[in-house]
Amino acid sequence: MRIDCPNCGTRDRREFYYQGAAVALERPAPDAGAEVWDAYLHLRENPAGRTRDLWQHDGGCGVWLVVTRDTATHEIFEVTRASDVAEGAR
Amino acid sequence: MRFSGLRVLREGLTGNKGWAPHWRDAEPKAQYDAIIIGGGGHGLSTAYYLAREHGLTNVAVLEKGYLGGGNVGRNTTIVRANYFLEGNSQFYSHSLKLWEGLEEELNYNVMHSQRGLINLFHSDGQRDAFARRGNAMINQGDDAVLLDREGVRRYLPYLDFDNVRFPVYGGLLHPRGGTARHDAVAWGYARGADRLGVDLIQRCEVTGIDIENGAVRGVQTTRGAIRAKKVAIVTAGRSGQVAAMAGMRLPIESHVLQAFVTEGLKPCIDHVVSFGMGHFYISQSDKGGLVFGGDLDFYASYAQRGNLPMAEHVMEAGMTLMPMIGKAKVLRSWGGIMDMTPDGSPIIDRTETEGLFVDCGWCYGGFKAVPGSGFALAHLMATGRPHASAERFRLDRFRTGRGLMDEEGTGAQHNLH
Amino acid sequence: MANLKSRTPCGDLLPLEIGSARLEETDPGHLTVLSELGREGALAAALSQAHGLDWPRPGRATGKEGNRCLWFGHREVLLAGPAPDAALSEKGAVTDVTDGWASVILSGPGAEDVLARLIPVDLRRPAFKMGHSARSLLQHMPVSITRIGADRFLLLAFRSMATTLVHDLKQAMEVVATRA
Repeated sequence: MRIDCPNCGTRDRREFYYQGAAVALERPAPDAGAEVWDAYLHLRENPAGRTRDLWQHDGGCGVWLVVTRDTATHEIFEVTRASDVAEGAR
Repeated sequence: MRFSGLRVLREGLTGNKGWAPHWRDAEPKAQYDAIIIGGGGHGLSTAYYLAREHGLTNVAVLEKGYLGGGNVGRNTTIVRANYFLEGNSQFYSHSLKLWEGLEEELNYNVMHSQRGLINLFHSDGQRDAFARRGNAMINQGDDAVLLDREGVRRYLPYLDFDNVRFPVYGGLLHPRGGTARHDAVAWGYARGADRLGVDLIQRCEVTGIDIENGAVRGVQTTRGAIRAKKVAIVTAGRSGQVAAMAGMRLPIESHVLQAFVTEGLKPCIDHVVSFGMGHFYISQSDKGGLVFGGDLDFYASYAQRGNLPMAEHVMEAGMTLMPMIGKAKVLRSWGGIMDMTPDGSPIIDRTETEGLFVDCGWCYGGFKAVPGSGFALAHLMATGRPHASAERFRLDRFRTGRGLMDEEGTGAQHNLH
Repeated sequence: MANLKSRTPCGDLLPLEIGSARLEETDPGHLTVLSELGREGALAAALSQAHGLDWPRPGRATGKEGNRCLWFGHREVLLAGPAPDAALSEKGAVTDVTDGWASVILSGPGAEDVLARLIPVDLRRPAFKMGHSARSLLQHMPVSITRIGADRFLLLAFRSMATTLVHDLKQAMEVVATRA
């Protein structure tokens, strides 16, 4: 698996650290309640197919990325800087 | 058909013509008292104990592929009871006791071999942690022996004791730990359940779960609708997809764990050796192959095969620990889909839907749990109360924070356990 | 206090000359990480004014020996050489990392082959020209790699890993020399 870093170009999977489903971009408010926080921290769609997760290019430029990929085939569809995704949502 | 030494001898002398299939290839009926989704180790043992312990024989096990085709056939066959935390320790202790009586219970040779498991440590701090773990194991009623460096050398003379980064300081020996034959466990339970009247239905994929007024009524399958008031989801890495049919999200992320086997060698590794710092563990199968595995590939995946960086890492760890295996040729590698929970401990519980149960979240410890998990789930389904050994495997512990069992202390991150 | 002698990160492990590759330690001067805060371009303008250096875009280096600027990661660069002008601190985050890094130069006709064994990035000349700079891994170590000559590479690794850096490079140099 290779990931196309927007800064560095296509790089080996070993340079990247996986940080789970891309839910961290939708952090709930502190007082959102136990159900919401439970869902945010623990519950996962866990799809067998297209998914979005967070990766950090820790062995390279350090950028955080949102990677859209397939969990069954490991095909990668889209790589975006997490900061761009967060800004787009704002 | 019962297995016995005499029978094996007689069949051997008469051309092995008298063996019959171990179980019927059952057709689905329209209705059962209970349905188990998933014909792997846990599903089959659940069906067996439902029939055996609770007299519930109108039970079907639905398997979309073939029996034992999932993780029970894709692991490193280690059987142990060396957990530290309350909740896990009594469960695995109970499971190991079931293992110890399993071959007689099932009249089936599961090749359970209590060859002893040694967890190595490489620093004073780790020694303290293992001393504490050993004490917890002894308190639980299991066995543990803290070995110093020379003690380890007597058992495992072939290790690189003076490795610069990971010098061997000692190990925690768990004499009752060992291995078993993976397929045989599934087959033994399948045969046992079938003999008690359970229908084992293969090539039958569940496509929907019928729920009316908050209670389960049955399932839709590729072989038609089947009614039942009790349904259990026992589908390991696929738990998320099956639970979604009931409108649930689970605290589970599915990850690949790889394992490897070499060509057959003469006996050289007599124990199960676990090198935690390198995420490496190894034993030798009865055929002679060295069976070893490593850590997760680290990202969510349903591909039953691993990636090369982790394969390389596992080989490096093996060479760091025991350079003598360097010339062994790796024959095969495989990957299993691990149902990882946020605290690294499993779930055996009912759900908000009446009559619907889940048994999942085994992370990479599912094989040794096969007897205990089935026993506890069968108890829960039959009596409505959790079995004493699995009281803390609750689904709501993540929401409430009560009773979390995070053995590694890594926090709510599915892939770090 | 006793009169302490300062030691370089690689100490007497270097220089090494094996086959057609040479590895030597280099003193790049002050090392300062510059990273933009707030308005984009302000720090770049200050850098240009104070040190006469262009802010390198991703994958590039500017300047020359003694006054160099390497792209060093997402939205940050490394100023190597001069002590940072005080004006920079007003425009962005300025961090002194001089003692944090080991700097070596790998040179010679065999240099590319040595690096090819250690770093999973194409560093051959058509793909990685003069003035190109990359962040990647050397074995398991995070490094910065910059081509500073036809067959010269500047490599930076964490100072605490200097011995491993030399060890891994030396091993690769020996293998390349054997194959030559």
